[in-house]
Amino acid sequence: MNRVYVLVMVTMLLVLPSMGSANPNGVGSGSFDAQCGGACHGDADMNRSSAATVEVSAPDIAYEGLLTSVSITVTNIETTTSGLLGFFLLSDLSGAGDTPSDAGWTIVSNSEGGTGNYVEARIGVGQTQHTVEWTVRAPSIGEYPLYGAIHHGTEDGSEAPFFGASASPAVVDVRPVPEDLPRLAADFEPPALRTVGEATTVMMTTAFVDDVQVEWRLPGGEATMVTVASDGDAWSFELPATLQPVAVQWRAHLGGEGPDQTTPWFTLQSEEARWSVDENAAYLQSLAMVLAFMAAFLSLQRGRSDEGLLTKDDVFDEEVEA
Amino acid sequence: MVSPATLHVVSTELAVGSFAMAGVAFLMAGMASHGWLLGERHLSLADNVAHFALAFGLLAMPLAILTGIQSSPGEGVDHPVLINKMLLASSALGLALGVLFARQSQGASIWHHPTGKRWQTLGGLGAVGLVLVTASLGGTFSRGESLLDIFSLPYDHVPLMPMWLSATVLVLAVANLVLMRRGVRA
Repeated sequence: MNRVYVLVMVTMLLVLPSMGSANPNGVGSGSFDAQCGGACHGDADMNRSSAATVEVSAPDIAYEGLLTSVSITVTNIETTTSGLLGFFLLSDLSGAGDTPSDAGWTIVSNSEGGTGNYVEARIGVGQTQHTVEWTVRAPSIGEYPLYGAIHHGTEDGSEAPFFGASASPAVVDVRPVPEDLPRLAADFEPPALRTVGEATTVMMTTAFVDDVQVEWRLPGGEATMVTVASDGDAWSFELPATLQPVAVQWRAHLGGEGPDQTTPWFTLQSEEARWSVDENAAYLQSLAMVLAFMAAFLSLQRGRSDEGLLTKDDVFDEEVEA
Repeated sequence: MVSPATLHVVSTELAVGSFAMAGVAFLMAGMASHGWLLGERHLSLADNVAHFALAFGLLAMPLAILTGIQSSPGEGVDHPVLINKMLLASSALGLALGVLFARQSQGASIWHHPTGKRWQTLGGLGAVGLVLVTASLGGTFSRGESLLDIFSLPYDHVPLMPMWLSATVLVLAVANLVLMRRGVRA
């Protein structure tokens, strides 16, 4: 019996530390409060200040219910060997209830292909700067601060987790929409994800718009104009397929009676076709296979238990019986 | 702090190493039991080594599975290779348990029966082979290549049964085990 206790103890000592550790593989992009900047690393009190510089930039003015873009740029990056760096877009730094959606913003997409306020980016070796952009829908009229924050580990994983935030927020003055301002329809949702190899036809609805021009680009690349077809306030255009899982950005120039407007760059991420399976069926089949293989083999070997005697040096049997 | 990925490498090496040793020992035991190249003295040695190594491999296997789940990216089992790994590991686990229970219940005399020694050898080698293919799948998943790629195995094809069929197999297997248990007692 002592051997069983020792075995259980050794197994627990091996397994439990890995369960209580931080998340060296990241937690994945999603929607998280700033507290996660500490909680994801175990205890927020253990955090140390990151040496990186975090800057958040947003337009001074946005219009209620219309789309605008916000970006966070991190310079002097330090991160782990895996290169994971977590970016937060926040409405304050209180640590809880501080996502942009808590302040009324709606995140439409981000440049990494998600729709959350937290983005985990993989930083290349030697890369010292990285920018993540969010496309957001403005809340009701008022002034809104937006903060940027990051968290990361260390090169060898031996030190405390690091947390950093922008020194000052970007304050956005959200105003009522001018009556004749050319704009996207309030219910227009730009597509954020698509499958590799498939072209995307975007149906864009607008208001107070007489003319639309659309351009697309790969991040950092040159912009290319596309042909736009119109049907009243609905405009359609096609974005070309990609051969690899990369992001394509596009924006529209809207013309009308009011002052011309340019939308923020929208990001359309291509992904390999997702594979899914009924996990319950897989687990049940696994259990069935354990028992079926065991039963089948024991059935094959059955019926000879009374034939022959144990050999004189049958160590295996003695150990099992002990 | 040791990361799950590092622990996974350690526990996988423990499991695969044990199973590999068990495979060699099962092969030796099978040859010795047939009187090919090896004799009775080798049979006793290979028999004990094979079953101890198989049992140790089974002990290391849960640790490998736990740390593998912890270190895999994403959530859940979302890749055909992972499902195939799970199914192969389950088959190996069941077969290995069958081999060990058969050996425990019938003793070393299992090697002196014409069909018993063949099934024991094939069962042991089969369990080891399944574990090695499972480990090969891990290499394919994490590094995109493995030694067994020369066989062009259909890693992306998942032979998933409907739940009712799995449940039927499960019930039949449990009934079989219960009946065998009662038969032994009677």
